[in-house]
Amino acid sequence: MEINSRPVVVKRMPERVNARTAREFLHDVRPFLSVDRPQVVFDLSQVVQLDAAGVEMLLRCMSEAHKRDGDLKLASPSPEASVVLELTRTERLFEIYETSTDAARSFSGFLPNAMRQQLLHKRPSAPAAA
Amino acid sequence: MRVMDIRGLVLVNSASVDFADHNQFSNFVPGLTDVAGKSLLERTAERLQKFGISPVAAVIEGPSYAGGIKPLGNVTQIAAPPERFWRAAEGAFNDLVQAGAELVVLVRLGAYAEIDFENMVQFHLDRHCRVSRATQNGQMMEVFCISASRRNDAASLFRSRLTHCRSDCPEFESFGYLNPLADPVDLRQLAIDILTLKTETAPAGEQIRPGVWAAPRAQIEKGARVLAPAFIGSYARVRSGAVITRCSSIEHHAQVDCGTVIENASLLSYSYIGAALELAHSVAGFSCIWNLRRDCVVRISDSKLLRHSAASSGNRLLSSTAELVTYLPKQFWRGIFRPSPSPSPDLNNALRQTSPSLGAASGYRAPACDSQAANEFPTNFVVARTHGNQ
Repeated sequence: MEINSRPVVVKRMPERVNARTAREFLHDVRPFLSVDRPQVVFDLSQVVQLDAAGVEMLLRCMSEAHKRDGDLKLASPSPEASVVLELTRTERLFEIYETSTDAARSFSGFLPNAMRQQLLHKRPSAPAAA
Repeated sequence: MRVMDIRGLVLVNSASVDFADHNQFSNFVPGLTDVAGKSLLERTAERLQKFGISPVAAVIEGPSYAGGIKPLGNVTQIAAPPERFWRAAEGAFNDLVQAGAELVVLVRLGAYAEIDFENMVQFHLDRHCRVSRATQNGQMMEVFCISASRRNDAASLFRSRLTHCRSDCPEFESFGYLNPLADPVDLRQLAIDILTLKTETAPAGEQIRPGVWAAPRAQIEKGARVLAPAFIGSYARVRSGAVITRCSSIEHHAQVDCGTVIENASLLSYSYIGAALELAHSVAGFSCIWNLRRDCVVRISDSKLLRHSAASSGNRLLSSTAELVTYLPKQFWRGIFRPSPSPSPDLNNALRQTSPSLGAASGYRAPACDSQAANEFPTNFVVARTHGNQ
């Protein structure tokens, strides 16, 4: 049984996300979102300015990912990004993690931890049993 | 029975507070900022007058204040440039003495204190003090009683910027409300304390429902909800669908657009907050948000979210007219000249490029898969890995 073998793409967002940079960023990440079941993490650690266009772009990316049965998660948001996400009530729409690594790991963490450990231990003996 | 002539002198300058630590708020003066409808200067002047200390003069530092200086009826306001502030304060003291004052109560705004001035003056007279000073919980406050005949003592006090007096300065212990107003958390706490009536001073305006105060000409549109305790300032506008709750304070000329929730927050004068937003645990104004939970200040450059309008009504009228006039041409321009969406690069090409939106700011110029840059990891791609056990 394979837990998850699809790639997780982690993309760092630019420092200033305004209408222009958001458009460029969206153009840049669209290939990652248009694959089957995309798994994308946006790292917001460097964001110092995020405006409404930036938030709209994030929502659009999330919607694109959901359309293809994938997900978009956010990681290490800077205080500036956090305040704007909170202000625009969008922080509750995203899964937000402290680090990119945690966010990337979370894509394979849909099973309860105990069950995952059990599966991992059983894996080598599985072919023999079959 | 002879009535003693006691006059008040209030000093308002920014040097006594830590707000200036935040660069965005270098022109922010807490003493002049409205909290629940009145500035601290106004509240202090009212308190002095309540105890019969009148007239009151105020020396205000700086040529301009972004929040606008309201004219106060019974307070003579003297603006002084920062370099001449203390000289102007000494001059104002001398003017009060010339005008016949026998005793001057000097208050420097920084902390907000509700002192029993009657007891303080009595203490000063009983001890035959030249200068006496208020303290609370062992902390020195910048509130003094100065005998008018002791001009040299007063001069030494002003010249040392209230740090030193040449004669003995007996301490009067105060037990009233005290807010240090050292940071935005204190400013927010003051609004909460005023709205929950923990202070002797009350919110401005009329109590339209229990716990809800509205100043004259406040507009609360139909469909907006204001939950007690809350304050809506004069000419402030709360639009339909907005919710104001948990000790929130909307100061004069502020505007809350449709569907926005203001929870445990203060919206400072002349600020506009956009539609369908949520401002919680914050102080917002001057195009910035102080988030009290995260303890950070964020400048909001997007005027759709938060903006500060001009204090002058003429400028406000001009800017709104300009906005109205340019609205249709802007829409035409956008419709005609909007760039057509460029074709998306395929996945392989995208993996070979750095983000154009990062530009030179990323510090990385070479394409990711160049032979020369093969050993470098592009800054915009942090991780691209397969999960599972690989």
